[in-house]
Amino acid sequence: MGPRYLGFIKTQSKKGGYLKARHLIWIRRASQAFFLLLFLFLLIESRLPQDVFVEYSLALSSAQELSIERPVRFFFQLDPLVLLSSLLSGHHLIKGFWWAIGLLVVTLFLGRFFCGFICPLGTIHHVVSWVKPTLKGEQMVRANQKSPSQRVKYFLLITVLTGTLMSVNFTGLMDPISILFRSIALAIIPGLGTGAKEVFELMAGSDVKILNLLAYGEVLLSPVFGYTYEVFKTAWFIGLLFLAILFLNRIRPRFWCRFLCPLGALLGIFSRFTILTLVKDREKCTGCNACTKSCQGAAEPEPGKEWQSAECLMCFNCFDSCPEDALSFRFRWSSPLSNKKPDMGRRAVLAGILAGVSLPLLGRLDGQAHKVSNPSLIRPPGSLAEKNFLTLCQRCGLCMKVCPTNVINPTLTEAGMAGFWTPHLIMTQGYCEYSCTLCGDVCPTGAIAEFSAKEKIERPIKIGSAYIERGRCLPWSGNGPCIVCEEHCPTSPKAIYFRKGIVAGPDGKESPVQLPYVDLKTCVGCGICEYKCPVKGLPAIRVISAGESRSMENQILL
Amino acid sequence: MKKLITRRTAVKRLFQISGAMAFSALTDCPLRGTEKVLAQKPGTGFIVEGLGQKEGYSVKELTKKIFDAAGGTARFISRGDVVVIKPNVSWARRPELAATTNPQVLEAVIELCYECGAKKVRIADYTINDARRCFAITGVGSVAKKTDADLVIPRSSLMRKMKIHGHRLEIWPVFIPLVEADKVINLPIAKDHGLSTLTLGIKNWIGGVGGRRYALHQDIHQTIVDLAQFFKPTVTLIDATRIMVTNGPSGGNLSDVAEKNTLILSDDQVAADAAAAKLFGVNPANLGFIELGEKWGLGTSDLLKLNRKKVVI
Repeated sequence: MGPRYLGFIKTQSKKGGYLKARHLIWIRRASQAFFLLLFLFLLIESRLPQDVFVEYSLALSSAQELSIERPVRFFFQLDPLVLLSSLLSGHHLIKGFWWAIGLLVVTLFLGRFFCGFICPLGTIHHVVSWVKPTLKGEQMVRANQKSPSQRVKYFLLITVLTGTLMSVNFTGLMDPISILFRSIALAIIPGLGTGAKEVFELMAGSDVKILNLLAYGEVLLSPVFGYTYEVFKTAWFIGLLFLAILFLNRIRPRFWCRFLCPLGALLGIFSRFTILTLVKDREKCTGCNACTKSCQGAAEPEPGKEWQSAECLMCFNCFDSCPEDALSFRFRWSSPLSNKKPDMGRRAVLAGILAGVSLPLLGRLDGQAHKVSNPSLIRPPGSLAEKNFLTLCQRCGLCMKVCPTNVINPTLTEAGMAGFWTPHLIMTQGYCEYSCTLCGDVCPTGAIAEFSAKEKIERPIKIGSAYIERGRCLPWSGNGPCIVCEEHCPTSPKAIYFRKGIVAGPDGKESPVQLPYVDLKTCVGCGICEYKCPVKGLPAIRVISAGESRSMENQILL
Repeated sequence: MKKLITRRTAVKRLFQISGAMAFSALTDCPLRGTEKVLAQKPGTGFIVEGLGQKEGYSVKELTKKIFDAAGGTARFISRGDVVVIKPNVSWARRPELAATTNPQVLEAVIELCYECGAKKVRIADYTINDARRCFAITGVGSVAKKTDADLVIPRSSLMRKMKIHGHRLEIWPVFIPLVEADKVINLPIAKDHGLSTLTLGIKNWIGGVGGRRYALHQDIHQTIVDLAQFFKPTVTLIDATRIMVTNGPSGGNLSDVAEKNTLILSDDQVAADAAAAKLFGVNPANLGFIELGEKWGLGTSDLLKLNRKKVVI
């Protein structure tokens, strides 16, 4: 059994230009590890800059007080589905779109190498399928036969792309980069962080000295897991869905990539003309099926069948596993048209178009694209008008991850079905920091437009308005003095002001108190009043979306 | 050969350990108070007021001068002390907006502590805005880096319920870095406030507690006096280089700020606040917390009873 090679030239010459299959596998693994780690690194770096020891004269001289220096949007810029969907639906070329264009061009030549070498979600699936597979021997060979269900991913691709033409961008629900980011940032990290924090608090509160000291280890974890108990609405569902997707790998290796991934489908279409092709030598083949057994994409690598360039994940497992040198990958410049067409199936295409047309129509029935319906749909500052927002938002969770107060959460029903898991602010969970600009800094598609701290304060960017519920408010209801909302109001002059009043207490005795009022002209809806109000649960001062700068309709004042 | 343990044993031990941990947490009842130091008798303290009159005077120099006038830092800080400084960095605002303690004053105080042989100087404040943003934007972070002081990032594991022994407050969650120290320096900024009229030294202790601290406002004067009696700083240094005269305590506009170029140092918390109140043209007698502070023996507002000095540069 001699070494197997990747021939970089078409000739059969044994000299030069060869790469051992084994080496190729290791290069792939190194690349997968690198991009997975890069993804996790950038995900963790999507936070308030950790260096609080900044030279203040520098930090203060710019309009942007604190900004993120790492390219945390990189994977979204690399993702052609993000590019395409925001272009089709929002007519907006995202920042850094050249990465995605580059990826598509390379895919034309090298096939779905992104799936095999780069995609971090693909790598996770690869590892899960590869470590302790459930299917053994002959079972695995059967499982890796190409199946008509692999058309489902084309159906999903066509659904999301048709949807974008109808101005609702569902892509983020299915896009692998968005799924992975959302799952790790909103479910896995907060889940682990909460557990760790509880243990640390237990240790810090104990009487055992050594446990007390160990509790200081928290500072090592906090930069990753956050300094507070981070929570996200519906995070349990996001996490369960992620686990379910991972579990599918026990049914078929890389189930997600094979059957469901719309990005894989898009790259599959682009790999139609790949010049890096699998060349099979029928004469050498003994029919041992080692190639099919190791095939990750069910792309029919065995000699005698036609190789499916659109299904091949370019993992090179078949090349490596063939004991007879019957398989090799070669660059064939001459006949790119000889590759097999992607097997989409007419039904998948038609069903995709149908679903793509109907979902946006249905999705907006309970939304607010045309009407103002939900007062608690408070979008992050800088967000576009609702209709445009839904054409661009990828629901990736970057803004939610980066927010230092944990106020930005995925929506459940607030934005209607079309806006499921898009960001909104829950003011009992946090508030919008007056001069913070991070959500706009990181949004990969511009659904939240970039804005400077100066703009945010001076324009000002309003996200809603506060109102006081007098029955609950302590001074208004005669339950004593309280000025907490006014104290925290960040605008100058303050949007919450006092009038002196006489209010009767529970004993009937009248006493002078300061009664809070809201000046709607100055209020920006930051929500710090609601967050800090001593009336917990349902605060006495609350923020609603009315008055938000992004909407012409959702206004109060003339 | 070492005997391998079975899975069952491993699980058992795990339960034992976690049970022990949970139990130890339970036994640490929240009632562990700190030693109560007797209130200093009013009338035996000192107060130093420093004024920077010259154009472009050095805030650092002024800080050093007032400590010298009070008998030198060595009078308060001993060799090997762990010193904790409680500035007011509640808000993520630029220092010139006077919502937070002047970083130059903070820097000078830390340097003085280290010069006296302090083992460690910590900066601790339970901020209102996100702590990391506050530290970065107010300049406290860069001061910590420059002077090698520890910057404590607030987190819930650093909150411990303690007996306050107050007239209004019994038990309240306290930010423990402020308690676990040999010496405490209160370093507030003088500001306007909607409820207590002014926020000076005594009010600064709201930033030393957690829990439902915004409920304290329902009886603000008594609760902050309780806290001041609990924390009992070695000295109070009120930063009035810039004061916020309106729209307090968060401000946000340069027009809310007035230059007073003043620093007030005292070991009497009431006296320090009384002196600072005058900068705003407020009669200390009209401030509830000063009245109550005097009533409960926290200090005196009659500056003539103190060893009073003035430093002008």
